[in-house]
Amino acid sequence: MSTPETQTGTLDPIPDLVEETLKKLDIRPEQIRFAVQSDVNSSGSYGEEWFVLTDAAIFTVTGEGVVPHYIPYKNVLGIRAEIVVDAGLLVLETQEGTVDLIRYSNGCAAKFGFVARFIGDEIEFRNGKRDEAPIWDYKPEEQFCQSCDLPLPDEFSPCPACTKKHKVMLRILSYMKPYRGRAILFVTFVIIGTVISLVPPYFSRILIDDILVLNEAAAPAEGVNRTALEEIFRSIQPLGLALTIVVATLLGIHIIREIFTIFRLRLGAWLTFRVAANIRSHVYKHLHNLSIRFFDKRKTGTVISHITEDSERLQDFMLEGLSFLAVELLLFFGIGAALFWMNWRLACFILIPIPIIVFGARWFWKKVRSLWHRAWRRRSKLFDVVNDSVSGIRVVRAFGQQRSEVDRFGEANVDVREYETNAELIWATYYPPLMFAVQLGTLIVWYVGGLDVIAGTMTLGTLMAFHAYLGMFYEPLRYISPLINWASRSMTAAERLFEVIDSQPEQLDDGTLKAMPNIAGEVRFHNMTFGYDSHKPVLRDINLHVKPGEMIGLVGHSGAGKSTLINLICRFYTPDSGLLEVDGEDIKQIDLKDLRRQIGVVLQEPYLFSGTIAENIAYAQPNTSMEDIITAAKAANAHEFIVKFPDGYDTEVGERGGRLSGGERQRISIARAILHNPRILILDEATSSVDVETEKKIQQAIDRLVQNRTTFAIAHRLSTLRNADRLFVIEKGKGVECGSHEELMAKQGIYYKLVETQREAANVRADAQVVER
Amino acid sequence: MQNENIEKQETLAAAPTVSSALSESDNYTPRYLDPADLKLTRSEVGTPRLEIRKEACYLRVMVRRLMPLSNPNQYISLAADEDTEIGIVVNPSELDSESQEILQEELDKRYFTPTIRKVYRVKEQFGIHEWEVETERGRVTFSVRGLNQNIKQVPPARLFVTDVRGNRYDIPDYRELDAESYLQIQRHL
Repeated sequence: MSTPETQTGTLDPIPDLVEETLKKLDIRPEQIRFAVQSDVNSSGSYGEEWFVLTDAAIFTVTGEGVVPHYIPYKNVLGIRAEIVVDAGLLVLETQEGTVDLIRYSNGCAAKFGFVARFIGDEIEFRNGKRDEAPIWDYKPEEQFCQSCDLPLPDEFSPCPACTKKHKVMLRILSYMKPYRGRAILFVTFVIIGTVISLVPPYFSRILIDDILVLNEAAAPAEGVNRTALEEIFRSIQPLGLALTIVVATLLGIHIIREIFTIFRLRLGAWLTFRVAANIRSHVYKHLHNLSIRFFDKRKTGTVISHITEDSERLQDFMLEGLSFLAVELLLFFGIGAALFWMNWRLACFILIPIPIIVFGARWFWKKVRSLWHRAWRRRSKLFDVVNDSVSGIRVVRAFGQQRSEVDRFGEANVDVREYETNAELIWATYYPPLMFAVQLGTLIVWYVGGLDVIAGTMTLGTLMAFHAYLGMFYEPLRYISPLINWASRSMTAAERLFEVIDSQPEQLDDGTLKAMPNIAGEVRFHNMTFGYDSHKPVLRDINLHVKPGEMIGLVGHSGAGKSTLINLICRFYTPDSGLLEVDGEDIKQIDLKDLRRQIGVVLQEPYLFSGTIAENIAYAQPNTSMEDIITAAKAANAHEFIVKFPDGYDTEVGERGGRLSGGERQRISIARAILHNPRILILDEATSSVDVETEKKIQQAIDRLVQNRTTFAIAHRLSTLRNADRLFVIEKGKGVECGSHEELMAKQGIYYKLVETQREAANVRADAQVVER
Repeated sequence: MQNENIEKQETLAAAPTVSSALSESDNYTPRYLDPADLKLTRSEVGTPRLEIRKEACYLRVMVRRLMPLSNPNQYISLAADEDTEIGIVVNPSELDSESQEILQEELDKRYFTPTIRKVYRVKEQFGIHEWEVETERGRVTFSVRGLNQNIKQVPPARLFVTDVRGNRYDIPDYRELDAESYLQIQRHL
């Protein structure tokens, strides 16, 4: 039996109710090894129920203190955490039959998964099927922020609540640091440009009041304030000269303003693209340091959109939105001041429509935006329909389904029409009233200001200038709402980019990493367990010791865990428990650069990058000599077909190597692996997607490749593994048999059955061929 | 009995040619079980047991819905284990009442997905939406990250919401929710 001290840990604190219930059963609290709370009761409703393990028994306690199950531990033959649709179920195999012990939602699946594994191992240990007692090493997944308890986006990301929005803005600005001088210059240009924009209406006032109206001798009443400049213009004679001077000044101002605008825009573009490019390359660089798990949890599309769409969105906003926002805001306050300075009484009147404009515009943009979003969603659905049927055009034709495809498109098309019309109708209905609110301000100015002019308390020129300013004043108000939305969306995009940058890299170099420039190739698994989700182990208690240069064939049904084992050797993932060592060193501690440089893979679907054949062969060693490339190609049986191409080694392989056949691509990837010269070689179904003739060629190439290297090979056709020193048979995540072909055949176990099944299938195929002839 | 099943299948399937082409070998023909021949019981420890009259008794039967989303109450597959299907019951309502009850209990165990009947509130904070809802399994509060990735819409108006802990909730038709719930959802979609 196990020693309870070391084998016990608490998962959840034990509540009084459970303790009291147990007391009635004569069980003291210290006898409880652990208790686990479920969030679902046995009738399937949300509630609480407890799973309790003592040295002698397994039982459950409900929230009401009832004990539905009490099973002596010695009667338990097996335990498993069954995954059902959107929940889980702990199932016991007992001498009396199968007992559905406790139900739980997915939120508790991790801890119950662990419990099942732990108890299962303990039972095996008790029955002598396992050498070591299981170790209690439960680690809850960190799903919630430690400081604020909010759920985290995923295990790699920082808490969104603890990274503030204004910090994001500051972070973007921090990317401008290298260009500090130009950034300051840019801000200066923005301010100067805005100030200059304020000048022309003022001159139009002089033009009207002091030059054009002067000859009509409409002398304004007292109390109209005039600046010194205006006095000067009044004194210039003849009027034609004054007019020329004013117009020339206006011309000059416009030219200066445009010059500033040109510089501002140029500088803005220069800065924006640099900052955006720097952020982008920072994100991309970081992306390549992230663990494979990061990519598992996200769709490829999401990752791509991180780098492209989000950075583009951020860039657009910085390029146009940011300076627009700055200029408009400055203008708004500048003009406001000018209006109050010219006539504060009239200025008060223009404030009347502001609430209508601001709130109206906010409501309007919100409405329109959501409608456009919905229309956009329908539109992308329409695109999906088209994509679907055009990609599958052969299937559509073959089954004669053109009509139904057209109908499907028609439905989606009507949807798009309805939503787009709806959005446009809302726009058409509410935009004019919004404009009317703006016009309202103008009308008020005409009326109130007009009264002043008639009464002689204000000059015509002031009224006209007022008018000119007014247009500029209301302008930003109309766009303030979409601008704020734009800004917040760009900040979210920036946040997502920073999220990638802040995610933890695959390996942190904390100075304890082992540099291993020359790996011998010894690989050892010791009681290793691993699952992509830690509560669903894919591999369990793997024990395997591979000597340097040995070739191991991995055998098992699909889904048994062969590819997972290989993923672990490549260290795309790390074991959940137990050990995986290379040359006696824990794989987690080996410098990844060294490890990966000495691991070579040949996959079932070789991935070729766009570029030439030579470049693809030399992918891992870009500076290799042509001779080495040819040697590798020759050894891989690839040279013979490469020379037949008109462009030889310069043949472009295109995206995913589309112009080459499967066998050709495979041989190039073998050449790549030969040139890479790895100490540990991984062959994952390297020959399964080609015909028999090609397979022979590839097999020859592989035979040359595996010489003196530790090799792990997966193959469905067991005959391809005939050169393996040992075969390791995996069944449902466990290593069940290991030995040479002869040993395993003599054993007549799982491997024997697999071989027999394949032989039969081969016989059937042979028979079929005979019949065909 | 075998013939009976095949006949039944022919009346059910739209294209009888399919079954006649395959009926030679038993493994390739779906077996439709006659509810009158079936009897579900529970063992002492609660294991569901299936008896097919004059044929066999399975000590632990596994139940699965063939169309859990579009037709959850019909077409139930009964299996001896993960890989061994015993047969299909088209209309479980034709079973005797005890068998029906056991079947329902087993289905409920296997298909947990709570159905949202009322949405009390949806509150957004830092891109995480907190939902408080009423389901047939009781009132529950859960958090949803983002919305696009974790809310799947099945046309025309079915929604599947997945929370941060991996639980999935079903809204069979959001248009049929009460006005308040509809508003809560609409505001955030």
